[in-house]
Amino acid sequence: MSELQKSEIIGTPALKDVYIGEMDMWPFESPEFNRIYPFYDNLRAGKFTTTKCKQCGHIAFPPQVICPKCWSEDLEWVELPQRAKVVVLTETQAGAPIGFPSPLIIAWLTFGEGAPLRHLLVRIINCKEGELKEGDEVKFVTFNVPAHPAEVKKETKVCDRVYYAFEPVK
Amino acid sequence: MAQKKNAVIVGGGTSKFGVRQAHLLDMVQEAAVACQKDVPGLKHKDVDGLIIATTMAGRHSSALNTAPLVVHRLGLSPTSICIRLDTLCAGSNSAIIVAKGLIESGIAEVVLVTGGEKVYMPQRWETNYTQLAVNDHDWDSAMGLGVPPPFFAMIARMHMKRYGTTKEQMAHVSVTNYNYGTDSPNAHFGGRTLTIKEALEARIIADPFGLYDCCPLSDGASAVVIASEERAKEMSDRPLVYVRGTGQHATHSMSAGWPGETLAEWPHLKKAGEVAFKNAQLTPKDIDVAQTHDCFSISEVIELEELGFCQKGEGGPFVASGATKIDGAIPTNTDGGLLVYGHPFGASGARQSLEICKQLQGRAIHQVKDARFGLAHNLSGTCAQHTVVIYGREPVE
Repeated sequence: MSELQKSEIIGTPALKDVYIGEMDMWPFESPEFNRIYPFYDNLRAGKFTTTKCKQCGHIAFPPQVICPKCWSEDLEWVELPQRAKVVVLTETQAGAPIGFPSPLIIAWLTFGEGAPLRHLLVRIINCKEGELKEGDEVKFVTFNVPAHPAEVKKETKVCDRVYYAFEPVK
Repeated sequence: MAQKKNAVIVGGGTSKFGVRQAHLLDMVQEAAVACQKDVPGLKHKDVDGLIIATTMAGRHSSALNTAPLVVHRLGLSPTSICIRLDTLCAGSNSAIIVAKGLIESGIAEVVLVTGGEKVYMPQRWETNYTQLAVNDHDWDSAMGLGVPPPFFAMIARMHMKRYGTTKEQMAHVSVTNYNYGTDSPNAHFGGRTLTIKEALEARIIADPFGLYDCCPLSDGASAVVIASEERAKEMSDRPLVYVRGTGQHATHSMSAGWPGETLAEWPHLKKAGEVAFKNAQLTPKDIDVAQTHDCFSISEVIELEELGFCQKGEGGPFVASGATKIDGAIPTNTDGGLLVYGHPFGASGARQSLEICKQLQGRAIHQVKDARFGLAHNLSGTCAQHTVVIYGREPVE
């Protein structure tokens, strides 16, 4: 970043060093900002989970506060499979959004017959360009992402965060 | 009960599409003027409804409640409807569906449907970054899925794998659309030409896509007049073009909800098309000219299949055979489509519908002979929603 960009001559000086939630690339994961926060707590414990309806048995993804099939609020947390197969993938060399290093590898996964989750698009990490092939097996992996500040009862607390991706099975 | 009114598209216009040195509201004004030049009988006081379709006007352009801004800049004073509408890439065709309902029910008489985007910000990174917020932000977007090329590249690979579609067949989509769009004065890439060789040798954006397989992101705005049949006759002597039937189908917001067997099947588009054809009391065979959402070359291939213009899986050979050329089975994207005219999300639907309007009035630049029925289609986001509007020279009985 140039000296000019760092100065207060340009830009919005009022926002210098200010966290702008609107521009955040990650979810607000803490209980103050969503009702599906157990998903993120489970990520911290290495578990890939979602909500299952106790009334009709439907397993939704992403997790929800009502069942999208029957609108029941009676849900429970269940674990999802942590291994899947790559159907197709793409390696983006240029044009990935800022914050995502190149090559950005995204794969379309299949979880197989009878799995509660059929397909998912995921980011593949811990993988070199050209390493992953169609048909390869990948596994669930979590990683820390930057925390954000939040005002809770006049105090500013720091909300730690985690996210997930998949990686090649070696 | 009073007889149902018919809604017609009278005419319209677009601003210049491209990387513009202009504010969103500047471009909406340009589109409105182009619309009035196209429909000289349109008077300010006649416009009783205004819809502005835009997606990025909140973060880009700092214009969250956009409709009053447009009303003020255009000097309008709507009394029936004054709203902003956002269905991303389908915004202004969605607005046409709304306007049709309002006119047929008697709530509105003359609705100015506008759409526009200011995509390019003072620094380019912000354009790609904002797209994280227009997909399912906390899920697919957090995987880095913001800009569309990687997703549609996977769709293309899947179609190639399942149906044997080739890069050369996809290049025919781009070349055909360049042959049309080069003559559109307001097109992002107006005046440019393309050969199959150039398309195949272009730099790779996301394998298998080269540069010309991908539409540009564009700044721009469009405006069309949707009016009751009676008011349209007062405004213009041109043949009436009726909004015959519409369909819009959404099934999911992120990849876990994808409705197809694989990425190469788009059953949600098939459904949207079936609904629109039923409402229009037509079949794909009746359609003389189409504007389908060619955000990527493969998109047009799959859309021709799912809309029923060719068999499923045969879209590749179909486009390579010249079927979408002016004398082909279904001339498609006759103004250049998204690939050449450009793609300011909220503005694209009205731009397509305007081209169908001109075709059915017999005054398009690349005119399809005796065109009586036309279709416009948009997909939105990561192919999450499909919008189909069918027009005709006669109303539905």
